[in-house]
Amino acid sequence: MRRGQKTCAICESGVRIVDYKDERTLQRFLTERGKMLPSRLSGTCARHQRQLSTAIKRARQLALLPYIKGQAG
Amino acid sequence: MVRPYEVVYIFDSALEESAINERLARFHALIQQPGSEAPQVNHWGKRTLAYPIRKHETGYYVVSKFETVGTALPEFERAIKLEEGVLRFLVVVHEGAQPVPVSTGKSDEEDDE
Repeated sequence: MRRGQKTCAICESGVRIVDYKDERTLQRFLTERGKMLPSRLSGTCARHQRQLSTAIKRARQLALLPYIKGQAG
Repeated sequence: MVRPYEVVYIFDSALEESAINERLARFHALIQQPGSEAPQVNHWGKRTLAYPIRKHETGYYVVSKFETVGTALPEFERAIKLEEGVLRFLVVVHEGAQPVPVSTGKSDEEDDE
């Protein structure tokens, strides 16, 4: 069984370059625990998935996004 | 080679605004190129950190953009590293004139269709 082709949410929103400072958008591509969503699940295209990956890692360094969410301490 | 750079600083939120500006001026003097424009500085202000850094729960964010030669950066980064009031910083090459998409986080509903 094959599912229909998902479309890339970032391409659709018309953003060319993913910004690491925009943590509200990046948040949508994380799991509940703060891990990156695979493009398999989020449907992002390869180019934007690569950009997201660097953007999320930069945002983590700057404490805009957590490395792990919901952990005590 | 002159390239556009972008720096994000996280200052200790206990610092006064004047103290922050004084430090920014000191850092920016190191990368100022003769004849080029002054750095574009954007104060985000005090924000809660996603995780504590050196026991601080909040930080004062400042983003600045400027053009400089790559050879000026090691000295610039060293100066920031030595500054106690900076909790963390990140220097990246600024790619493309990109307006900050502020409200893109709200369009969840239509994307799922």
